[in-house]
Amino acid sequence: MSDEVARILGQTKPAPSLKPAPLLPQGTGGLEGFDEADFNEAGYLRRNPDVIEALRRGEFKTGYQHYAQYGIREGRTVPGAPVERRDALIATISGGSEEPDPGDFRCAVDTVIVAHRAGVMVIGWADDASTAIDCVRVISRAWHLVFRGASLVRVRRQDVEAALGGNVTHPFGFFGFVHAPDLVDMADGCTVEIWLKNDSMVSLQQPMHRVGEIELRNLVLGYLAGADFFGNQQIEGAAAVDRGLGRHVVAFNRAITSRITGAPYVERFGTLHRQPRGSIVVCLYGKSEFLAVQNCLFADRPGIEDYEFIYVLNSPELGEKLLREARASTMTYGLPQTVVVLPGNAGFGAANNAGVVASRSSRILNVNPDVFPRDPRWAARHTALLDERPAEETRLFGAALYYDDGSLMHGGMYFEMDTGISLRGGDFHPERVVRTEHYGKGAPAWAEQFVRPRPVPAVTGAFMSSDRAWYETLGGFNEDYVFGHYEDADLCLKSLQRGTPSWLQDLRLWHLEGKGSTRQPQHEGGSLVNRWLFSSLWGETIMDGLLGPAPTHPALAMPPVGTAASTETPAAEQPAQTGSKRSRRQRRAVGKTP
Amino acid sequence: MKVLLISVFHPELVRGGAQQVCYELFEGLKQTPGIEPILLAAIDPSHTALYKSGARITGFDGREGEFLFLSREYDYWWHKCSDPRMIEAYVEFLKIVQPDLIHFHHFLLLGFDLIAVTRRVLPNVRIVFTLHEFLSICAADGQMLRKYDHSLCTRSSPVRCHQCFPDRGPEQFFMRELWVKRHFDVVDMFTTPSRFMIEHFVQWGLDRARITHVTDGQRDYNFRHETAAPRRQHNRFGFFGQMVDNKGLWVIVEAVRQLRSEGFTDFILEINGDNLRYASEARRKEIEEFLAAEEQRPLDERIVFFKGSYDMEQLPQRMARVDWCIVASVWWETFALVISEAWMFHRPVIASNIGAMKERISHDVDGLLFAASDARSLAETIRRAATEKGLWEKLVKGIKPPPTRQAMVDGFLEVYHGQ
Repeated sequence: MSDEVARILGQTKPAPSLKPAPLLPQGTGGLEGFDEADFNEAGYLRRNPDVIEALRRGEFKTGYQHYAQYGIREGRTVPGAPVERRDALIATISGGSEEPDPGDFRCAVDTVIVAHRAGVMVIGWADDASTAIDCVRVISRAWHLVFRGASLVRVRRQDVEAALGGNVTHPFGFFGFVHAPDLVDMADGCTVEIWLKNDSMVSLQQPMHRVGEIELRNLVLGYLAGADFFGNQQIEGAAAVDRGLGRHVVAFNRAITSRITGAPYVERFGTLHRQPRGSIVVCLYGKSEFLAVQNCLFADRPGIEDYEFIYVLNSPELGEKLLREARASTMTYGLPQTVVVLPGNAGFGAANNAGVVASRSSRILNVNPDVFPRDPRWAARHTALLDERPAEETRLFGAALYYDDGSLMHGGMYFEMDTGISLRGGDFHPERVVRTEHYGKGAPAWAEQFVRPRPVPAVTGAFMSSDRAWYETLGGFNEDYVFGHYEDADLCLKSLQRGTPSWLQDLRLWHLEGKGSTRQPQHEGGSLVNRWLFSSLWGETIMDGLLGPAPTHPALAMPPVGTAASTETPAAEQPAQTGSKRSRRQRRAVGKTP
Repeated sequence: MKVLLISVFHPELVRGGAQQVCYELFEGLKQTPGIEPILLAAIDPSHTALYKSGARITGFDGREGEFLFLSREYDYWWHKCSDPRMIEAYVEFLKIVQPDLIHFHHFLLLGFDLIAVTRRVLPNVRIVFTLHEFLSICAADGQMLRKYDHSLCTRSSPVRCHQCFPDRGPEQFFMRELWVKRHFDVVDMFTTPSRFMIEHFVQWGLDRARITHVTDGQRDYNFRHETAAPRRQHNRFGFFGQMVDNKGLWVIVEAVRQLRSEGFTDFILEINGDNLRYASEARRKEIEEFLAAEEQRPLDERIVFFKGSYDMEQLPQRMARVDWCIVASVWWETFALVISEAWMFHRPVIASNIGAMKERISHDVDGLLFAASDARSLAETIRRAATEKGLWEKLVKGIKPPPTRQAMVDGFLEVYHGQ
């Protein structure tokens, strides 16, 4: 019971008794999608003294409970913004506002953007420094949508600050997005109502800008990436995504991805002379020439005849070129390969999963297009690992990857947690986001301790070998991540959760990772969402023994000598975190002296 | 032995050292008993009239054993043949010709990938590759000149190459090196026309045992075996070649300016060449303005005369008009055929003191060397050449006959036979 409600209760005279009915489960019936936090408790009680009396008698815990059970059916009204589902499309206007206070606060809507069967985005600002936004309603001809105030991403708007004057540290700007696959009516204009918690409302007539679904996704992500927050941008960005936007973006992106992966073009080149031991699945984006370069550098190496290549293209505009590359390269280098052209960018995880569908072996090797053999015998060694090592060491494993300068790029991955304080609503909220780190990144090639075979928290998707049945049992890469990032760690954690840690095996390849192509704003926005998603999914798991370079999780302890990987590495060569003293905990976790 | 010679361009269509040498070899092999040479010359789509509809490889102008590879969609970064139909045509050509040996004189307009295709189609064929410049090492047109200051480059590395191409990351050059070397794995023997080149390629990573030196050679264009008659003064200098930046014509122009400013004008310079349009904009403008100003001068004040392009048949007349040849190249050069051409006519050469020029010319014995890219050094050398009594005669006596076509053919036959 809030202070305000308590104050009201203290001032109210006794009221007639109300017979309580059995409690309805919260979030059902008329209040589905309308949380208690959004309910104008004080206003409802002010209007209904009998409810206050019932609360006094202990028949109800809150006015919200009364309203959900009786009030809504009795036609009782709630002052302020309509009580209706939030952050979801509603086919018709189910309830109007009742006697809103005339809006006297300053606000504006910059734009409302809609995409057919996709969603609605609204961008604007409001002077709600003293009384917060309750909700923003977008009302079109045949639907309306209520953005929950707490779900809106609140951003700093220096232009608004300048216009309003004063010296208030407040995120006046807002933007919201709701995934709405049922949205079909595309009127030219709409009404936008901005409601404050004090029941005042301003109604604005707005044009609606219509875009395609991909453009809408990119606009949402781009706006998120460019958002200016008070405080730590990463922490505040993650917190903003967590309040609702992330869930909608993920659902929206997933819908796009499903449509894209549902209609691939598949063409095979060359002849399989025998059943391949492994399928090398490569996701291409933007650069088709990597197919030829990989063909050249992988071909005619010992053991490569046991492998097929599956190239999955996320850039359909390069499809024809890639098919020509594949045809030419098969003639030139003799490798059998399959090209899967997707009609859009499905992202890393979904594209790799599509490649697995097209593969013809029981072993999947997810390999980045800029990964090349450093050891000419890598393929033969990979096959030998499958034949000679215990199954639990090879069910899912990665390889040592090296930069072009010769230093180590990857010797397994571990997790760190970034913590920070997010300030919203005048309160501090601790926020935690997970960061992935690589063992031995930048270490000299002779630093063998980082590439010693061992179980690790995760391995990079730049090179990941997995038993196909296990990969499929795990559901493959999680396709919820936008564009790509964290799918590899996600898969490794799914495996670990089911009892099989990922391993780092002693295979050595180049990973000629550069600064990458120019990242668009939507990619940056996708990164924010992905980091939030990964942290939401795995944060608790990671905190339980998987944090830091020397995790204590029992599954990551080295198996006894003679049953698993070689433990010949002397203690002096065990991994240590650069610049820090190695603790007993670290020693126990990362190595074992015979 | 059936020998397939693969050339970049055909000298009949585009002038250039690599194709000229390849064609000289082709002509020489035709006269060699037991050898049946075939020439496949790659050309680019600028020769529109020769691109017959639907054709990828055609004959050439009714010449026996000469074919054109009609390159299309060539990838100039990876040096790759992007059109699978070109590869199919090449495979078919190989199967028809069935050569015993394939001698690549370049990969430009063909692609490194065609070397790999060759090995795949003909696993037992002997593959010889003549390195006519450093394009396999250096993405900057194979010149090994730092692009940002035009200084000589002595070795490639991912970071050094990135410095020349700031838009490309170091890893792209690492990848390029892997790519090139992987294709070179199938080559049985490399040859270079100069010995100093071997060191560049060994440093880059080629096995020294797989590289040998075979000189470039030419037929003798001094048809009438004329000798250079002594004159009272030997103050006529000639430039022969492409008027592009790397050939150093701009160094010569600066040297002339300097000598004129010093009051030394008792000499002339004749420029025989073409392709100024391929020079950098700054150098082209500089040379054009200089030549225009020179033309405005009264005849008795003129030093520089632009004589224009020439073909090899005209070489005797052009050479007869000068006493000295200046080879002012600011890059390494890999043989500098123009030195041979000067020597055919007993003209001593004044050359930059680097690379192939330094290797071929003995200073003060058969020519003069000056500090490369240094106009002051060249000016002093020109003044000395024009004024020092007895110098010209001494150097002419020191000139040895340049390598002949037959010497080159004999050198390659040794390589062909694996000796």
